[in-house]
Amino acid sequence: MIRITRLSIGYSKELLSADNLVLAAGKVYALVGRNGIGKSTFIQTISGIQKQLAGEIAIMEKSIHGLSPMEIAETIALVDTRFEGVEYLQVKDYLALGRAPFTDAFGRMDSKDWRIVEEVALDLGIQHLLEKNTDQISDGERQLCSVGRAFVQETPVILLDEPTAFLDYINRKKLLELLVRLAREKNKCILLSTHDLDLCLDQKVPFMLAAHGTLSIHNTLSKEAIIESMS
Amino acid sequence: MKDWSLKWMFICLLCFLPLAMYLHLISGQIEISFSSYFDSILNFDSKNTSQVLVREFRIPRLFMAIMAGAGLSLSGMFMQTLFKNPLAGPYVLGINSGASLLIALSLMTGVQFFQSNFGLIGTALIGAFAAGLLMMLIAQRLKSQITLLLVGLMFGSFTSAIVSILESFAGAESLKSYTMWSMGSLQQVEFGQLGIILLIFTSGIVASFLLVKPLNMLVIGEKSAALLGLPIKSIRMFVLLLTALFAGLITAFCGPIAFVGIAIPNLTRILFQTTNHRYLIIGNMLIGAIFLLLTDAFIQVLEGHLSIPLNALTSIIGAPFVVFLLIRKLR
Repeated sequence: MIRITRLSIGYSKELLSADNLVLAAGKVYALVGRNGIGKSTFIQTISGIQKQLAGEIAIMEKSIHGLSPMEIAETIALVDTRFEGVEYLQVKDYLALGRAPFTDAFGRMDSKDWRIVEEVALDLGIQHLLEKNTDQISDGERQLCSVGRAFVQETPVILLDEPTAFLDYINRKKLLELLVRLAREKNKCILLSTHDLDLCLDQKVPFMLAAHGTLSIHNTLSKEAIIESMS
Repeated sequence: MKDWSLKWMFICLLCFLPLAMYLHLISGQIEISFSSYFDSILNFDSKNTSQVLVREFRIPRLFMAIMAGAGLSLSGMFMQTLFKNPLAGPYVLGINSGASLLIALSLMTGVQFFQSNFGLIGTALIGAFAAGLLMMLIAQRLKSQITLLLVGLMFGSFTSAIVSILESFAGAESLKSYTMWSMGSLQQVEFGQLGIILLIFTSGIVASFLLVKPLNMLVIGEKSAALLGLPIKSIRMFVLLLTALFAGLITAFCGPIAFVGIAIPNLTRILFQTTNHRYLIIGNMLIGAIFLLLTDAFIQVLEGHLSIPLNALTSIIGAPFVVFLLIRKLR
């Protein structure tokens, strides 16, 4: 799904490099590494916001820097920074914004678009929130809504920058289980940056390890090995 | 908010608009028969005093009240969505100040180019757009919503200082015309000018409806909107141009009218409880027009005894409302 070749990322100075990495469809990858190592920069780079210093990122065999903003919106969904909620913006309209790349110039939603919103809400267990305003639900519910909007976008790739940072333990666990299930069911490639090593180990997700200036993928890795290679 | 209650709101406002228009027309000092209103447009007799009165004063003033109310509210709504800040508006962000500065320059330095009809609109538009552009550049470097408002107010003080300096150099005649303009009045437009103003205003409205989808996307922030495929830079310019068009047009012909652009979009949002700009555009136009019609009708009623500048009255009503918003939103 995502192929990375001789990649170098950072702002003017290299933060991380990676070569010959492949992220497959149907899987969740946990991007782990210490603060400031460049996890966010990596996510920004894959999503096309930040330009890489060198090398190539290809999604479904197409270089992302050859894609137009519209094509990127159809290929990659990004859940980044904390969504604070907007006064009077209902959850269903927030989710519906995920259809924006596919609706007409006036943003009109047809019945198929609304069906996608309802299905995603059902999958995420947030159907009871649809009529609520996004500023009047809990942090955990809002985080689920952000993830929901990414799913509504129906892109093959979903990137999440620390989606569990503001959640309690139960919600973290639920979210990760959900991502693993949806990645498998809908054959999506999901990459999330996180510090929740234990949860990721429980779910047996492959790790993408950012340490000592390089990125590497490990399908099985013990907690001790991760901590050792990070420090 | 449910769709049906939104519809009811629109029906109520739509019924209220003609009532406000009627009140505005009859609130003038001289009583005029209904037939004169129709005759003044359909079969105008320039020797009939009441028909002249209607054609030269009441009709232009009526239309200007509607357009100023609707236009300023829309430009405020654009600013609030674009800056993701409920306290943004053409006045607080210095869009009006930009227009005022350039108008002061043209009225008081006597540069010929600026003195035609189009010159005046053009001047105000350039001033408004330049101020908007400046605010946009500054906004991109700021994180806090409050800082941006303070910058806007500083810009306002700065331009009014320049205007004061200009005033001290200006001759009596040009000083008077600038002072009159700066008080804000809906009575400065002649019947013959209405056509061109209406044309610009209507094209602005059409363009606004083309922006419904981008504006709805901007609600969740520029970055998220960009990731949904919105060409953020061109949309930003388009929205800013439209804001400047409305604010500049109204400021050129009616002088500065404070607080309408910040108060009405908030009132509309609170009443309609939606972020869908398809409804917000219509709501802002209706509520803005009704508000300014009633405000100006009040001024007309008092005109025999005292003349309150429009700018002063909208400030007296608007400023406490904005304080209420501050307390409600920011605490």
